[in-house]
Amino acid sequence: MLTLTLPVETALHRVSAAAKLAGIAGLGVILGLTADPVLLAAVFAGLWLAYLPLGPVEAARLPRRLWLLWPFVLVIGGWHLVRGTPEAGLVVILRMLTMFGAATLMLLTTRFDALLAAFSSLLRPLERLGLPVNRIALALAMAVRFIPVLTQRASDLAEAWRARSARKARHRLLVPLAIAALDEADHAAEALRARSALV
Amino acid sequence: MADPSSGIEIAAASVVLGDRPVLTGLSLRLTERRIGILGRNGSGKTTLLRLIAGLIAPQTGTVRVDGFDPFADRRAALAGIGILFQNPDHQILFPTVEEELAFGLAQQGLSQSEALARANAALASEARAHWAKAPVTSLSQGQRHYLCLMAVLLMAPRTILLDEPLAGLDLPTQARLARRFAALPQRLVTITHDPASVGDCDRVIWLDAGRIAADGPPSRVIPLYTAEMARIGATDADADLAG
Repeated sequence: MLTLTLPVETALHRVSAAAKLAGIAGLGVILGLTADPVLLAAVFAGLWLAYLPLGPVEAARLPRRLWLLWPFVLVIGGWHLVRGTPEAGLVVILRMLTMFGAATLMLLTTRFDALLAAFSSLLRPLERLGLPVNRIALALAMAVRFIPVLTQRASDLAEAWRARSARKARHRLLVPLAIAALDEADHAAEALRARSALV
Repeated sequence: MADPSSGIEIAAASVVLGDRPVLTGLSLRLTERRIGILGRNGSGKTTLLRLIAGLIAPQTGTVRVDGFDPFADRRAALAGIGILFQNPDHQILFPTVEEELAFGLAQQGLSQSEALARANAALASEARAHWAKAPVTSLSQGQRHYLCLMAVLLMAPRTILLDEPLAGLDLPTQARLARRFAALPQRLVTITHDPASVGDCDRVIWLDAGRIAADGPPSRVIPLYTAEMARIGATDADADLAG
């Protein structure tokens, strides 16, 4: 499996996973409190500055990561243009891009085991209700880990398509990608079972 | 060397995947230290390995490893059996080398910090301390195989199952891994289609279409297998579909 983990270690790597999760939650609240597009744009620009310590390669990669969201930008932007409320649309889009960028930053600078431990301790109170907290934490952390795995599978599929077709793949890769996701889940389940009694 | 464990006992086990019978009424008692299982693609050998590892249960019959049921008793299975998957990318779950190594130990009951310390000590003893923080994606295919083997060895199982352990590796890596396998005190069960890699086993079992075609010392089984493979290869080898 592949991951978002960076080969360099930065100051953000040394911040605890729980603190980063809390920071993202706090950012979400702050973004919800203001509807001023200028202020939101400033927060977004500030987020980009936070990427700089990760190195020029990663900072330059942020726009490409955000590009993943284009269908949402298109739908939300289009809807608000039709409704005649472009400013409200801009506000929603800026909030979304900022939260996505912040979550990606957290994933880039947090080790998987730290994230797993943070999920476990956050869920710990639910143990009293008889919920299998360790299993739920593992499932949550795995779900997060699968994002880059599936991104890689998608680009592998696109490559396999290009090797044998001059046409663009577009939506035709959606079904193979869904099957690849199930396949990936099967392998991960087996690998977990081979070394863990949790599964 | 003393027997590393009491052995693997399979009694009348059948496995059906989908509608296709993969293993049919298989009975085997494996007590040797080095066991090779030979067979073509689709002969059921990987299914047999997954059955012994307790990753799947037989539809009928029983499987016992050192007396326990590896499918039902996962805690005993973790201590008793390790399995090295054919494709290391299907085995590696974690983003960095030390997390991957620590996972199995934490599952065996060690705290995360103890598990990480043990993982780092193991890397240091193999002159690979600098691997600890490396992303697993930065390792070559051969290095990933090695990482998977280390992860299995750290859990100190009595039996290790190897699925085509040398396939797809360059020759120096093959030689180094083969040397490593040969030195292990554990019981090793190796499945492969390549007779050369089971020549040193104490016992070789040839599996064909989910049944045992031959069973005995390599000096007897390998020539039979090689002759049959040459005979099939001379005709149209892979036209038949499963099922």
